[in-house]
Amino acid sequence: MTQPQPQTNEGPLEAVDLRREFADLGIGAVLDQLDSELIGLAPVKTRIREIAALLLVERIRQKMALATTFPTLHMSFTGNPGTGKTTVAMRMASILHRLGFVRRGHVISVTRDDLVGQYIGHTAPKTKEILKKAMGGVLFIDEAYYLYRPDNERDYGQEAIEILLQIMEQQREDLVVILAGYGDRMEKFFQSNPGFRSRIAHHIDFPDYSDPELFAIAELMLQQQNYRFSAAARDAFIRYIAVRKTQPLFSNARSIRNALDRIRLRQANRIVSRLDRVLTADDVMSIEAGDVLASRVFSKDATDNET
Amino acid sequence: MNMQSMTLRGKDRYKSGVLEYKRMGYWEPDYQPKDTDVIALFRVTPQDGVDPTEACAAVAGESSTATWTVVWTDRLTAAEKYRAKCYRVDPVPGSPGSYFAYIAYDLDLFEAGSIANLTASIIGNVFGFKPLKALRLEDMRLPVAYVKTFQGPATGIVVERERLDKFGRPLLGATVKPKLGLSGRNYGRVVYEALKGGLDFTKDDENINSQPFMHWRERFLYCMEAVNRAQAATGEIKGTYLNVTAATMEDMYERADFARELGSTIVMIDLVIGYTAIQSMAKWARKNDMILHLHRAGHSTYTRQRSHGVSFRVIAKWMRLAGVDHIHAGTVVGKLEGDPNTTRGYYDICREDFNPMQLEHGVFFDQNWASLNKLMPVASGGIHAGQMHQLLDLLGEDVVLQFGGGTIGHPQGIQAGATANRVALEAMILARNEGRDYVHEGPEILAKAAQSCTPLREALEVWKDVTFNYESTDAPDFVPTPSVAV
Amino acid sequence: MRITQGCFSFLPDLTDEQITAQVQYCLDRGWAVNIEFTDDPHPRNTYWEMWGLPMFDLRDAAGIMRELAECRRVYGDRYIRISGFDSSHGWESVRISFIVNRPTNEPGFRLDRQESVGRNLRYSTHAYAAERPEGERYADR
Repeated sequence: MTQPQPQTNEGPLEAVDLRREFADLGIGAVLDQLDSELIGLAPVKTRIREIAALLLVERIRQKMALATTFPTLHMSFTGNPGTGKTTVAMRMASILHRLGFVRRGHVISVTRDDLVGQYIGHTAPKTKEILKKAMGGVLFIDEAYYLYRPDNERDYGQEAIEILLQIMEQQREDLVVILAGYGDRMEKFFQSNPGFRSRIAHHIDFPDYSDPELFAIAELMLQQQNYRFSAAARDAFIRYIAVRKTQPLFSNARSIRNALDRIRLRQANRIVSRLDRVLTADDVMSIEAGDVLASRVFSKDATDNET
Repeated sequence: MNMQSMTLRGKDRYKSGVLEYKRMGYWEPDYQPKDTDVIALFRVTPQDGVDPTEACAAVAGESSTATWTVVWTDRLTAAEKYRAKCYRVDPVPGSPGSYFAYIAYDLDLFEAGSIANLTASIIGNVFGFKPLKALRLEDMRLPVAYVKTFQGPATGIVVERERLDKFGRPLLGATVKPKLGLSGRNYGRVVYEALKGGLDFTKDDENINSQPFMHWRERFLYCMEAVNRAQAATGEIKGTYLNVTAATMEDMYERADFARELGSTIVMIDLVIGYTAIQSMAKWARKNDMILHLHRAGHSTYTRQRSHGVSFRVIAKWMRLAGVDHIHAGTVVGKLEGDPNTTRGYYDICREDFNPMQLEHGVFFDQNWASLNKLMPVASGGIHAGQMHQLLDLLGEDVVLQFGGGTIGHPQGIQAGATANRVALEAMILARNEGRDYVHEGPEILAKAAQSCTPLREALEVWKDVTFNYESTDAPDFVPTPSVAV
Repeated sequence: MRITQGCFSFLPDLTDEQITAQVQYCLDRGWAVNIEFTDDPHPRNTYWEMWGLPMFDLRDAAGIMRELAECRRVYGDRYIRISGFDSSHGWESVRISFIVNRPTNEPGFRLDRQESVGRNLRYSTHAYAAERPEGERYADR
């Protein structure tokens, strides 16, 4: 358990065919998948490519016996909700798995409640249980800063933090931890918990989506479900995005998905309200402007929490 | 085949005289077997000139209600229900003149929980029927409704493992040799040496009962001394199959009771004691927390030839119903008969809760065992440590591997022989679980294990050239091809 | 003497790397893995003490190896075994079990015989280790 993952039975290699190595590992396929399934996020994708390249070289250096220690791979993903952090974590796990830096490549996604207990003696077993489940894969801790509550000295979160730090240091080859959350709050968290900062090798910042990117996300989602906007609905939805962004609890792609769910509901209602006709495939695929414009987002007192 | 029903109906059916079986209602090509029907598959070889459909209908008739002539007393019964119905006849692939007859029997024809009654019908009279050259019972589908009337294995694989505290590997046994002539005192020596050396079980041979050279009580007493000594020497549970086969049921109970009194975990019977005696012993074993080992003595007289008799897969099914815990089911690689695919079929019948139809293994029907206990197959006869990878691959983990000669014949003695087998087995399980290609790397794995185990090294050397490659006399009729046309 | 319970007692003691592979074999089959310890080696001692609950739903052996290290730290002078439990229908029992830690000295067993009616003997297996109270059995041997 103390050896680096990519084990070789032979002696150190002298030369490596890079293209072949790259192709055999299937990293390109994962990167392509990331490109096609996630709209925008150019800086994130660049960082992922950089990290993948670094790890590929690291792997080759290990094969050549030039790397002696196991690299630290823990990461922090910062950005607003709905900017693709969980999806990227899954792809990252897959890349790490293909490169041999984690053995199984699964992702265990948790929040404070999964790690921290309610009473004395509750937290350590809970945290250890989660860590055992995550071994061989990636532990994704969303809104990690909730683990730390400076206002309460006796908060059990501290116990979870200590166990996490210990494992992140001692079992680097068994587990990769990704801490995720809002940028500013993560920054504060790292300031108060320097132990985490020093164990994080890669910081990736997830920017908010632009309006056209959000629209492209919407079209992709609809297309995957065999729906499409009519020309008028298209314009309506572009307006929807602009308005929704200014309202509270906006969460990027997640808000788009929720909006589309409700639009599909309204479309179905509209169709069923007129029973005496023959429907074409076109009818049931098409989203009309009315389906979009009926949203409460457009009403003057739009204080609802349609997220 | 003639696919028309030729059954006479109404008054004509019961006119006095002789009527063809196929006209009496024993050939019903439109019949859909019910879920509760017992179905038998016979291989029928009619005498020259006998119409195959008539021959198969006759088998249905003679194994159920028919006699050679029409009887008016049929009309006092719900005769149509009780008539076995042959509903399908197929020519046997590659075997001109032989036919597979599928025959359905109504469940009311059989007494609940009685192998004797089941067999009295299915193989009672019909095998001597003159218009047939030969007849073989190939397979049976036992409906869940009938399976549920049987006790099934007294202990079963899972509880046997729990009682013995042995998991994750085949069990190891050896039959005490020489089969005949050892005194009780000498016999116990062999048991002690083999168990202490690393085997889990030793075994009486089928014909060790109570003879002038060794009275059964002597054998039991010395064997149990050996078992207990070996248990204390290893800290591991050990057993020896004490053969309680005897002339009468009373004698068998007496012997079995004595074995229990001495603290044995297992007793043994021979197939030749008969189905009723086997079922009685299974009930006794269940009542007395005893594992029941069955030696299939005598089976080859009727299982071996492909044309006539009863297939061993049927015997295995009957024995699972009857309630034994162990049954010898072939080794594939050893000295006794056993085609790999056919043997695979037997093992599945013993160990699975559901057997899907698999013609290339000779399994003709889906068989649901309705959670009846699993029966541990035993592989015995001409096997040795050097074949461990093949045995594990062919027979799996839930099996007793019996190395008689392969233990007692070891040049350094019985303990060394036992140790060689146990080390070979554990090394192979370890390698298999590590994900190694143990079937191909088997010899390497054994050689590696032998580096730290002299007895294994010697065993591999002595038996390195021993194989028994003869053509099987009972291979399946169907070979796997992309489209099995049947 | 060396007690030979469990699946691999006739092989040299397994290394941690070998144990990891066996544990992974269990996890890959969806079995729950249990760590148990005892200082009573009697062959009929079924219920060893459990080191926590059986571990369900794990993907990788590393977590179990960490528990094993911890168990060895506390009970390194006793027998420790790992078992894989299969909850699927028709099994619902242990599927593999092997010893991963032993006391340095295993004193073994005495066989007691009590003469009875006729030539019958009553046997009982007596573990020398069990002559001392639980917890002190292998401490200074």
